[in-house]
This record gives sequence, structure tokens and C-alpha cells, in this order.
Amino acid sequence: MQFGIFFELSVPRPFSPEAERRVYEDAIEQIRLADSLGFATAWAVEHHFLEEYSHCSAPELFLTAAARETRRIRLGHGAVVCVPEMNHPIRVAERAAVLDILSGGRLELGTARSSTWTELGGFEADPDSTKKDWDEYVRVLPRMWMEERLSWDGTCFSMPERAVLPKPLQRPHPPMWVTVTSPGTELDAADRGLGCLGVAAVSYAEQERRTREYHRRVRQCEPVGGVVNDRVATNNFLYCHQDSRTGVESGMRLMGMFGLLNSHLLFTREAYPTNAYQTLGNLNPIPRGESGGPGDEVRAPEGICVGNPAQITAAARQWESIGVDQINFILNVSDVLSQEQVLDSLRLFAREVMPGFAPAARPSTAEGR
Amino acid sequence: MLQGRAQPEAIAAGCPEMVDFGATATPLGDVQTLHVLCEFESRLAEELLPPALHPTLPGVVGWMVQRVGESPWGAFHLAQTRIECRSGVRPRGYLVEAVVDSAAAAEALASGWGFRSRLGTIRLRRYYDEVRAEVAVSGRDVLAIGLRDPQPLAAADVQYVANMNLARTPRGLRLVQVDPSFALERAERGEPRVDLFDGEAWGVAELEPAYPISASSTAGSMTLPQLRFLCRPEVWAFDGTERL
Repeated sequence: MQFGIFFELSVPRPFSPEAERRVYEDAIEQIRLADSLGFATAWAVEHHFLEEYSHCSAPELFLTAAARETRRIRLGHGAVVCVPEMNHPIRVAERAAVLDILSGGRLELGTARSSTWTELGGFEADPDSTKKDWDEYVRVLPRMWMEERLSWDGTCFSMPERAVLPKPLQRPHPPMWVTVTSPGTELDAADRGLGCLGVAAVSYAEQERRTREYHRRVRQCEPVGGVVNDRVATNNFLYCHQDSRTGVESGMRLMGMFGLLNSHLLFTREAYPTNAYQTLGNLNPIPRGESGGPGDEVRAPEGICVGNPAQITAAARQWESIGVDQINFILNVSDVLSQEQVLDSLRLFAREVMPGFAPAARPSTAEGR
Repeated sequence: MLQGRAQPEAIAAGCPEMVDFGATATPLGDVQTLHVLCEFESRLAEELLPPALHPTLPGVVGWMVQRVGESPWGAFHLAQTRIECRSGVRPRGYLVEAVVDSAAAAEALASGWGFRSRLGTIRLRRYYDEVRAEVAVSGRDVLAIGLRDPQPLAAADVQYVANMNLARTPRGLRLVQVDPSFALERAERGEPRVDLFDGEAWGVAELEPAYPISASSTAGSMTLPQLRFLCRPEVWAFDGTERL
């Protein structure tokens, strides 16, 4: 089991240049600490126009800054939106390669297609074609990295023969992932030999089902790239505190704020009837803890990593037992927690939870890692 | 955080009086629906919604025009202007106002489910190349929307969000949650057209449609529900939701 951290970079209102800068600087400080504590990966999303919820519109720049201040932690560019109106595939390949070089070969590349009308509409992208676009991207990106020169005659883009430069440091290329919110996308990931990057909160039972199906299918995959990434990661929240009630209550506030800000987004299925989006993305009611009397133990919803070290260990064990390879934690949302609380939580987690989990003893999925 | 800022009493003009919450689930048959969604200025969404509700990003106005062939009140047409919003984290549509072409249906919808409405004339026509709806009140055209070049869609690909209807109730001014169930037999999607929206006539003079998003047309049946939830409009839904 590995542990990572995951950044949406949410910024509370009122917006100001100072507030934006502080959120970015705090996140860099969190990555520096996570690097020193042994966390495996720092992921940064790509989102556009998502007021308060995520101001992480140029993750490759943010991650480049993080790369230059860290030594070991891997950098998850996740996920790049593989829609031509937002990112031309050549530019995705180029930027990823540069980030891989500048990080010393520490890039993990996530791929996605966006689930909100807020974003797709803002770029005037066609929701009906995003799945096809994504599929073309994940097939061509590895070739851009592996082949000296490449020409492409595709559906969403074409190009005459050119050398896409530079090539990434990792050979044959950085590990690739797919973000999974809708049921079934894990099978798309498996069939293509791509890692399953779960970003929606799901129950143990649902994650177990997805993980089992994924592992069954990935054994028969026809990889789109030069290497198979067969790992399963899931997202979670982290607030670790010695006092259970404090940990759970603060963690629940974190989750509640995330759910509220997330709910403001206009999900594609809600605005644009289409069979290309079968679910509302991650617009799901936030699970609530069981409530009891005033003296009762405060409990977090199933699987959520908030509370004291023992509670979080138990939750992480359960994820591990169902085959999850990595848990990526959201550490803060819109300043619900202070920076000191976030850093203390990371330190306590690293001191009292992480030692109980052996790093995943799995073969590297890419050479040079 | 984004949240509605309209004072509930300031937007309560014309709200219906509900003397009880006793409406039972009521099936409506032979229902044709045209639904058009369009973006408008986000800032305005906060000003038009009460504090119980959160706007979406971007602000979205929706028009739902329905021809109901079979109901306890006879055949009628219903046209609604709604603002897409959230109650807590749930997707909802805040009813700005409705137009109904049957006094009996208008009265039943108002007293049973809190629909704020006026009488008017409504035309909903389905052609092979387009679906069009036109609404007039007192001889004044107030809405003309359409769906051009309809393409078949699976019925499961269309979804409608529940209404939040502001009404005076035995518990005071409340948002009444109305979540009908739909059994759709046919669904189509096409290019959205917003040819006329007279915001002033609908009581939202500042609202100007800016960017059409989608248009869908369906046929089937629906059931108006027995009411389950109310919401105090002056506080957010986590604090103000009341179970019936």
C-alpha cells in the first residue's frame, strides 16, 4: 500500500491574488513535507472555471515548481483533460515530457475527459465526443514519446510526420492512468493497460467490485503504450488527530465543504442529455456519520480516513484488503483547516499509520523508476 | 460560498396559498415535454434565489413546457421557468413562475404542489424537423423556444430535476419540494433555440438568456408526488429542511 496526496487547490471567497498565492504556497509546503515523510505521490488535477472548488488550471506548472523543491515524491499530473478544445495532444505530450525531465523521471500521467458542463461548455467542447477524444489521446501519447517521428491520421486530430520533442526521461514513457468516476471506466482502463485512478468516493463494496473486475481484465489487456500500469488508486480525505472526536469532526467538516463546493458545479449529464455521460460525475451526497447521543463515539462514514491513527489505520487496512494499491488524500478544502493542522495531520499519519503499511512491493511499471 | 441572496418575502409576490399538504400522488398521462436549458449571468443567479438554495456555476435557466393529455383536471398545458440550483448538495429547479392554460389545473397545481402560475395560452408542437413551444399571457408573447433537428436518444439519458416551489403554507412561507416521477417512452435531443424570453413578464426582468445549452423532447407519463419535504427559504437547506 502506498499513500499519496491529491490537490484540487480550492480557494475560499473572497478571491484575491494574495489568497490564490497562499493556497499555492501552502500546497507546495505540504508536498515538501510529504516528500520528507515518505508519501509516494502528489497529484494535481486539471480543472477550469470551477470557482472555489478548484483553481488548479495549470497543474503542469504547479507540479514543475513542486518537482524542483522535492527529491523522491512522484508527481501525478492527474488528470490531463484529453479534449482537443482544452489541450492539443501534441502539447500534452510535450509538457508531460518536460515535467518528467525536470522532475528527474518522477511523472505519473493521469488522463481524463472532464465531467462538468462548467468546463466543457466553457471551451465549447462537444460532450458527445469526449470519450472518443480521450481514447485517441491515450493511444497516440505513448507513440509520441516512444517513436522518433510520428504522423497521425485520426478522428479528433491529424498531423504530418514530426518529431515530438523532448522525449520523457522515463523509458519507455511515464506510467499512465485514467480517472474513474463512472462505473465501467475501470474496464476501459484495464483493457488499455492503464492504471485505475479512482477519484469519486465509493463504498468498500463498490471499490472491491471495481478492483476485482479491473484486475481480471487488465491481465488480458492490449496495452496502448510500451508498458502496463496495473495499479488501482482511490481518493480519500485525511485528517489525523490523536483525539478521535477532533479528528472525525474536523475531517467531516472537510468532507462537507468538499461536497458543497462540488455541488455547485454543473455536471454534464444534468445539463446536456447524452449517453456519453451515464452518471452525474462525482455529484453524490456526502455520506454522513452515524449520529448518536452526546456522549457517543463520533464515527466517520465507511472508509473515510479521518479520526485518530487507529481509526485511520483500520480504514486503510480495509482498502488494502480489497486490492487498492494507493490511497490519495485530499488534505484541505477552502481553508477549512489551518495550514498547521494540515501539516500536523500529515506528520502524525506518517509517524503512527504509515509504518504499519509496507510500501507496495510490486515491480516497477516503467523502467527508470 | 455561493448562496442565494434574495429576501424570501421580496420574491413571494403571487405565491400560492396551500391550506394543507394532503395532495396524493397523481398520475398524468400522455405527457409531452420540451425542456430547454440556457446559461445566464452567474451573479444574477445569486440575486434571484433565496438563501436556502445555491446557484450552479454557471447560472442556468430552464424552461419546461408540457402538454398533458390526461389528468384529473382534463387536458392542459404547463410552461415553467426555473433556475437550476442546489438544495444542500441536491440538484433542483427553483420555480420562478408557471403559465397554465386551464383554470382547474392551475388551481390544483397551486393548492396541491405550490405551483405559482398565471393563466395564459401555450402551444407545443412537434414536427419532424423541430419541436416548438410558444407561451402568451394576456395576449403578450412571453416565451418562444424550440428544439431543432431532433435526434433520437435513449429515454434513460434524459433526466429532470425536482422543483422547489415557493408557497405560503400552514407552516409559513416555504419551498415545497416537488419531485415527479417520469416514465418516458420516447426522447429526442436537438439544437436549442431561445427565440423569445420576456423576463419582465415572468417577474425576472434582469434575466437575459445568454448561451443555450441543450434541448430535449420526451413523451410518456408522469406522476405528481405526495409531498415529502419542505424547506425554510431564509436559511440553507441543511438547517431548514422539514420532513412532512
